[in-house]
Amino acid sequence: MKFVDEFRDADLGRAVAGEILSLVEPGRHYKVMEVCGGHTHSIYKYGVDDLLPSNVELVHGPGCPVCVIPMGRVDDGIALAHTEGVIFTCFGDMMRVPGAQGTLLEAKAAGADVRMVYSPLDALRIAKENRDREVVFYAIGFETTAPSTALTLKRARAEGVANFSCMSNHVTIVPPLRALLESPDLRLDGFIGPGHVSTIVGARPFEFIPADYGKPVVISGFEPLDILQSVAMVLRQLAEGRCAVENQYTRVVPYDGNLRALEVMAEVFELRPHFEWRGLGFISHSGLRLSEAYADLDAERRFNVPGVRVADPKACQCGEVLKGVIKPWECKVFGTACTPERPIGTCMVSSEGACAAYYNYGRFARDREVV
Amino acid sequence: MSDPPPEACAADHCITCNDDGVPMTVLRLDAGAGLAECTDAEGGRSAVETALVDPVWEGDRILVHAGVAIASLPAEVGP
Repeated sequence: MKFVDEFRDADLGRAVAGEILSLVEPGRHYKVMEVCGGHTHSIYKYGVDDLLPSNVELVHGPGCPVCVIPMGRVDDGIALAHTEGVIFTCFGDMMRVPGAQGTLLEAKAAGADVRMVYSPLDALRIAKENRDREVVFYAIGFETTAPSTALTLKRARAEGVANFSCMSNHVTIVPPLRALLESPDLRLDGFIGPGHVSTIVGARPFEFIPADYGKPVVISGFEPLDILQSVAMVLRQLAEGRCAVENQYTRVVPYDGNLRALEVMAEVFELRPHFEWRGLGFISHSGLRLSEAYADLDAERRFNVPGVRVADPKACQCGEVLKGVIKPWECKVFGTACTPERPIGTCMVSSEGACAAYYNYGRFARDREVV
Repeated sequence: MSDPPPEACAADHCITCNDDGVPMTVLRLDAGAGLAECTDAEGGRSAVETALVDPVWEGDRILVHAGVAIASLPAEVGP
């Protein structure tokens, strides 16, 4: 297949749906977690779940980097943005994430110089154009995005851009998956593995899931047929009584990942002992900070960052949504007090967030009728 | 539903901060800067860091995330 249309072909989709139907046992309920927010978005945008039997449930995992940022880190960013002389740069969705002190968008309205960028390289360009100002890049994302930040920091070093620094909120995918698998209130049958994270890390880091927990993992692409085929591959493993890491997204993901990207990440970053995840709490070795070699470009060392810790809002059930314990519409404030225009929880902020995906594509109305 | 806030990403989902990749074709190389001018399926152009997939050549297809090429794509493959 060469073109987008073929990956969205309805007849092919129905054929895979038929295959899925043939793989499930009547009376057994299957829960398959899609780890990545990009998959969540595709599932609801294209109605992939409408093609699944009623006993195959897709559970939305913690793979949206905006959704897992805790409120305290947002407040730290806002404090940095209000620092005199600072131009604060971040990705667009991050600007609407609420901390206890409001959002970065509100900080901008209050006078802070907050600018949206599409790439860390854009932030570096702003630094080169404003040598009399300090430019901070607020970095978020999994292993897909971390190499981009790392290359930008290497470029800043090479080009001598001394007024550029980075506040790293980068996270890694394996520790939260292990935490989820250890969670007593979670029952999953298998995983749809993240596509572009795996472009960087490869498929090998997920081998612990079948080895230690006996569950299948299928690395998946993002088109509707990719996801349907991946669900079928998970169900086929279950039907055959085996579990392994399989790669549906072979057109992009090499089994060993991108070694050059892993090298540059290892040079620029080091693991934090602990990092807080929204709704999941502190997870060991799950966050990346700048290594000692790049300490001079670390905004957390260059500036006085408060380092506050703020508990999640009581009304918000993002944590249970992220763990797949409840569906978004089961949250007490979903669609009422919490909407994409006025989000309380981070899952409603980014369109990759499970709550926003449900809300934007009208899924909550149908699901509520079922209940 | 009201219009998205002006600072939200223009696309229907955030192309940079999530696990997203955009297939692009290399138009021109700027070897000195380590960048390549690339175009996407809609004709949009941008400068892309190619250090993770070098060497690339004009006409090559690459997968771009947050301004950086993270993978080379075979010529005869879909999105």
